[in-house]
Amino acid sequence: MSRLLDVQGVRAGYATVPVLHGIDLHVGDGEAIGLFGPNGHGKTTLLHTISGLLTPTSGTILFDGQDITGAKPSAIVAAGLVQAQQGNTLFGDMGVEETLELAAFSPRARDGWQTRLEEVHSLFPRLAERRRQRAKTLSGGERQMLSIGCSMMCNPRLLILDEPTLGLSPRLKAELRDAISEIARRGVPLIVVEQDVEFLLALAGRLYLVEQGEVASEIDRDNAPDHQEIMDMYFGKQAH
Amino acid sequence: MDGVLIPTLVSGLLLGSLYALMASGLSLIWTTLGVFNFAHGALMTVGAYFAWTVSEQLGLGLFTGFVAGIGAAVIAGVLIELLLVRPFYGNRSMMLITVMTTLAASTILERGISIIWGPRLKQLPRVVEGQVEIFGAPVSAHEALIIVLAPVVLLALWWYTGRTRSGRSLRAVGQNASSAALIGIDVPRTFSLAFGLSAALAGLTGVLLGSIRFVTPGLGTDPLVNAMIVVIFGGLGSMGATAGAAYVIGMMEALLILWLGLYWTPAVLFMALILVLVFRPNGLFGRAA
Ligand SMILES: Nc1ncnc2c1ncn2[C@@H]1O[C@H](COP(=O)(O)OP(=O)(O)O)[C@@H](O)[C@H]1O
Ligand SMILES: [Mg+2]
Repeated sequence: MSRLLDVQGVRAGYATVPVLHGIDLHVGDGEAIGLFGPNGHGKTTLLHTISGLLTPTSGTILFDGQDITGAKPSAIVAAGLVQAQQGNTLFGDMGVEETLELAAFSPRARDGWQTRLEEVHSLFPRLAERRRQRAKTLSGGERQMLSIGCSMMCNPRLLILDEPTLGLSPRLKAELRDAISEIARRGVPLIVVEQDVEFLLALAGRLYLVEQGEVASEIDRDNAPDHQEIMDMYFGKQAH
Repeated sequence: MDGVLIPTLVSGLLLGSLYALMASGLSLIWTTLGVFNFAHGALMTVGAYFAWTVSEQLGLGLFTGFVAGIGAAVIAGVLIELLLVRPFYGNRSMMLITVMTTLAASTILERGISIIWGPRLKQLPRVVEGQVEIFGAPVSAHEALIIVLAPVVLLALWWYTGRTRSGRSLRAVGQNASSAALIGIDVPRTFSLAFGLSAALAGLTGVLLGSIRFVTPGLGTDPLVNAMIVVIFGGLGSMGATAGAAYVIGMMEALLILWLGLYWTPAVLFMALILVLVFRPNGLFGRAA
């Protein structure tokens, strides 16, 4: 399978704190992959670096054969690499419909935006019910739907979802997971960060465990470890 | 009394229109970048002087003068953004730093103008000649034009920021720059766009003002303080609130000048601002945060 995204030896961080110490991972065309690992170990930092919000200090990021290392976020979206960031609050004073319309901003997203809007509404009927409501008055779950809906409006070649169900009730979690599975079924390649490894295994072909700014291991669905082994990975070897 | 009151209210309306035009330009930048552009007044002056040179000195006509004046203001505005604001994006003290850098730009422009054009007073011709009556008070047609134009410009801005893709992108960047970037909006370019548009408004206001007041190096900077009071008074946000505040301040100023004279008017306006902020920290028309 040809590589849609290829992250090679990426190091990145914040002003004084290096967070990523050489990350290698890839996504094949048509593939969904999952990222998991303890909080604060660099998953969000990695995704921000891929989307151009942070510039790597070294390493290379190739998307669709193009070098996008250090490119502007808007150029990366224009190339089709789109992210719904963790805890996205979007634009507080903008209405739901207005936000979705605006999200079809990049040239690649303009043609057929009405069709895509209908797709988003079929994915998240609640967004259709709340067309005129402002983003800041939405519930956490609805805001998450809007955030994913915005990313879909960008007409993604690859969609990144950073903890899309964080802090939601079990019922809403299930609703969003169904929607994410539906997006995967529609053939959009995905990178999904989630704490629930079982969900990731059902969704994605391969999983990466990110620990202390490195890929600690790669898991293939076909020879996936059992529940206990995964728990051990999570909580570290100190349990033993 | 009646004979004075109506003309005073009309001149309040004219001041309100002037402040509405200025404040809408200021708040365009404020809502997009979270920055106060202290050079806004100087950009008005730049517009007026270029318009005068092209229309009067070169004799190319008032319309060409207008275009040149607005164009010059836009170029100066975009340069200010590129050179004096952009280097501080993401800086924690960006707002304070840009107070200093845009104040510096204002001073440089004002001094530069007096060096280039000298101290002699100039005046732009009026767009329309003649007089009209508003509620029985005689007003020059040019002033009436400003009074009519201000709400038209405000409505156009309201439509632009609410209904068009590029106008909405300004609001999006102001409300959440990283989310805006992640739907493909070029954030730095949007900042330039905000400055450019705001400067175009400054240029327009400057050339309109240049035919009812003398064109001096202080043409735009003199009313700037009151325009800033308007923006704060309105609650630093919605276009409607800012417009409302502009007319309230304009009327108050005209009435205060009538009752107290020029000397005490600024002090009383500031007192009013302080009182409003004490009792309504989100501005006269601002909603609770
Ligand atoms: N804006 C920031 N400035 C400085 N440090 C940050 C910032 N954001 C995150 N960090 C740090 O970077 C590390 C990785 O965080 P993050 O990428 O959010 O982890 P994860 O998404 O895996 O929970 C953490 O130690 C966190 O404290
Ligand atoms: Mg995270």
